[in-house]
Amino acid sequence: MVEEKIICIGCPLGCETNLKIDDQGEVIKITGYKCKEGRQYVLEEYRSPVRVLTATVLTQSSARPLFPVRSNRPLLKTQLKEAAKALAGVKVKPPIRVGQTILSNLMNTGVDVIATDDLTY
Amino acid sequence: MKFSDVDVAVIGSGPAGMAAAIKAKEEGAEHVLILERQEQLGGLLHQCVHNGFGLLYFGQDLTGPEYACRFVEKVRDLGIEVLLETMVTQISVDRKLTAVNSREGPIHLQPKSIVLAMGCRERSRGQLSIPGTRPAGIFTAGTAQRLVNVEGFIPGKKVVILGSGDIGMIMARRLSLEGVEVKAVVEILPYVGGLIRNEVQCLHDFDIPLLLEHTVTQIHGEQRVEAVTLAKVDKNKRPVDGTEQNIECDTLLLSVGLIPENELSRMAGVDLDPLAGGPVVDERRETNIPGIFAGGNVVHVHDLVDDVSWEAEIAGAWAARLPQKGDLEKKGKTILRPGRNIRSIVPQTISDQSDVTFYIRVKEMEEKVRLRIGDIYHRAFRVVKPSEMIKVDLLKKELKRLKERTTELDVECEKGE
Ligand SMILES: Cc1cc2nc3c(=O)[nH]c(=O)nc-3n(C[C@H](O)[C@H](O)[C@H](O)COP(=O)(O)OP(=O)(O)OC[C@H]3O[C@@H](n4cnc5c(N)ncnc54)[C@H](O)[C@@H]3O)c2cc1C
Ligand code: SF4
Repeated sequence: MVEEKIICIGCPLGCETNLKIDDQGEVIKITGYKCKEGRQYVLEEYRSPVRVLTATVLTQSSARPLFPVRSNRPLLKTQLKEAAKALAGVKVKPPIRVGQTILSNLMNTGVDVIATDDLTY
Repeated sequence: MKFSDVDVAVIGSGPAGMAAAIKAKEEGAEHVLILERQEQLGGLLHQCVHNGFGLLYFGQDLTGPEYACRFVEKVRDLGIEVLLETMVTQISVDRKLTAVNSREGPIHLQPKSIVLAMGCRERSRGQLSIPGTRPAGIFTAGTAQRLVNVEGFIPGKKVVILGSGDIGMIMARRLSLEGVEVKAVVEILPYVGGLIRNEVQCLHDFDIPLLLEHTVTQIHGEQRVEAVTLAKVDKNKRPVDGTEQNIECDTLLLSVGLIPENELSRMAGVDLDPLAGGPVVDERRETNIPGIFAGGNVVHVHDLVDDVSWEAEIAGAWAARLPQKGDLEKKGKTILRPGRNIRSIVPQTISDQSDVTFYIRVKEMEEKVRLRIGDIYHRAFRVVKPSEMIKVDLLKKELKRLKERTTELDVECEKGE
């Protein structure tokens, strides 16, 4: 059996919770949360901690050297660093509209990288 | 547009300026003009490429630029006039406004109403007084954010961040993702300065050490920062002898707070509130100078952009009514007085009997308290924190209980639920 600590971010209280996990990786017991929503959050955060990736890519624009992008869906947090590296070689060309796909199927995750701004020239 | 015809002039085009201008136009003001010193609309949002914007306003998790885009589109669709690369240099007590740009030279306006939406700026090293040399490699976190996200320039390879405000934590994550080694985030208080969400997702996710009750006592290096000395602090925030440690780094980022930008307000004779840092306003977000309104970070530093937009809409709506209806009558004036564990309250006065949106910041973290506004409102909180502003909406009918002769209302946190 192992224990894991997870801080709930559900509200400003930021409860520190403790999870007891059996050898199969199943959660046996959670303590330290103060409400039902918090318990649910902690369970999800344990099972699959995901985050939206936001970053910038290079441009061929005369107006600005960098352009902001994001993943259209969250990635596993363990994939964030690698995903950020995968974007390092990307260079976009105007015109681009906010929401447009910049890179599809990032690292075979099924997640796309999309533009978060307009770039006219 | 002739500059002589301006109904509502908005200074600044961040989320506050755009929301105020849009609302003013929607409320029927004919000529609405935004003056912005930068070359594009959006203010700080451009450099905030991370997500976390608009969760409340749009019910969606947007990045800064995405949030800005939605407002920019509306500004265009509504035919709001925009002057970019135009710096407002002066406002007088009688609402004369002077601005300059390289195309028109000096511009003189006499708008019927003005909305101040100049935002805030970061506290710098000068306001902190850390001893040591003055080498290159010391940046405010916001400057670093602009360098990394807009200009494409990484400020260093090994970074220490002083202050655990949201900007500093967000930069810790951003730099880590860019391959920079973030050695530590150092906070003088016993708790984190920013949102809990940012502590978890920006520091814990990247295994960045957070040193609470610590500060930077010395900066080393001749040309460039080579190291900083950290020390633990006691209850009075004074460094404790013998706890010093040296951390090798080439960059120090400062994330030690924001100050509303109010040089223009001062010129116009607008009264400032030393607690909130910005103009004293009433529930319409009108200042003591009739026809001059204010909203967003120029009034007080908000945590969330959603509140910035909402507050500015109040200012914009009332700014639009003035040119249409002339002087708006006000019934009396009640002053809000910050009491136990209250740092600041906006608005500072209420002068009408209309709906009011209050933003309240506490001084210290406290569990199980009851927030009270005179005898007209109270609410129990599991916890209140300086890093999480409290919003209270009071409807006109709830204020009816406010007797006409009431001239002062105490706002305070009472112990116990
Ligand atoms: C680094 C950082 C991270 C943030 N992260 C988040 C987040 O994750 N989620 C969230 O909800 N909020 C976040 N915020 C908060 C949010 O971005 C700000 O609250 C918001 O931008 C403030 O809006 P504003 O319009 O009041 O000011 P600003 O955006 O600062 O806009 C003010 C504008 O006024 C212009 N101006 C000033 N003086 C003059 C003059 N004299 N003449 C002409 N123009 C002038 C400036 O150029 C600027 O464009 C963050 C803020 C920062 C700094
Ligand atoms: S468990 Fe409930 S009370 Fe505790 S931080 Fe999470 S949401 Fe807040």
